[in-house]
Amino acid sequence: METDIEELRAKYLKKDFDVKEFPIIAEKTIRFAELCGETADRFLDPNHKDFQASPTFVGSLAGSRLLPSDFPRFGIGMDAGKGIECFSPVIPGSVLTGKTHLHDIYAKTGRSGRMIFIITRIEFYNSERHLANSDSRIVIAEKQNGR
Amino acid sequence: MADKTIKDVEFGEELPVFVPDTSLKRASVFASLVGWEGPRFSDHEKAREEGLPGAMVPGILNQGYLTAMIHQWAPNSTLISIDTIFRAPVMADEEHTMKAIVTDIDEEAQIVELDLTLANEKNETRVLGTARIKIAS
Repeated sequence: METDIEELRAKYLKKDFDVKEFPIIAEKTIRFAELCGETADRFLDPNHKDFQASPTFVGSLAGSRLLPSDFPRFGIGMDAGKGIECFSPVIPGSVLTGKTHLHDIYAKTGRSGRMIFIITRIEFYNSERHLANSDSRIVIAEKQNGR
Repeated sequence: MADKTIKDVEFGEELPVFVPDTSLKRASVFASLVGWEGPRFSDHEKAREEGLPGAMVPGILNQGYLTAMIHQWAPNSTLISIDTIFRAPVMADEEHTMKAIVTDIDEEAQIVELDLTLANEKNETRVLGTARIKIAS
């Protein structure tokens, strides 16, 4: 691994740089599920015994910032993917705390130069437990020769 | 679709093809709901002025469609994880199809793994991914 990437990993990985609270509103989780094409009552009916947000809903919850404030600027980032891990259902009416850190940083070099991949993870907690993770994968085409 | 047990699932099984609503209207309404207002999800012409090929469908909506496809196939399944790679934009107002195939079954742990793809009318893969779900015995 290149030295500069190793330095970034040592400086930034696994260190929370943002904490934000997210009230989970039933009307919004229901509309989210409807628009995604979910048909199960547990996502659509607030009176269902297992009423919950659809599992990818947490992917719509954004922290106050995607990268640490002092993270170096390599170029313009593009949205390269999303990942969700679910440990327990997210219940509408609750308030989640989202803690954001950089989960991974790595580079790939191709014919057009080096691409830097950054995975920002938000860990979601309620008052009792860790409920879910939401990963955002950003890819940055490194500027070549100052361009 | 009826509820499934892990024993109902076959290795290599293909899920029914899912045709997501990739209309500009749906993309725009969804983007507004999640607070992503802007021309890239609501206006083809203005998106082109931003240097994009046109207005797009938000990535998390595509991820939501993939999850809905899984739930329609196995209504009683529980999503453990989904990882999606946005290989190229999903252009609004263009027809796309979603497919999934069972790539692993762990009967003891009751876990099924799926490969997921979303392709346009030219059969170009725009989004690909994997999901792990739990289905009771």
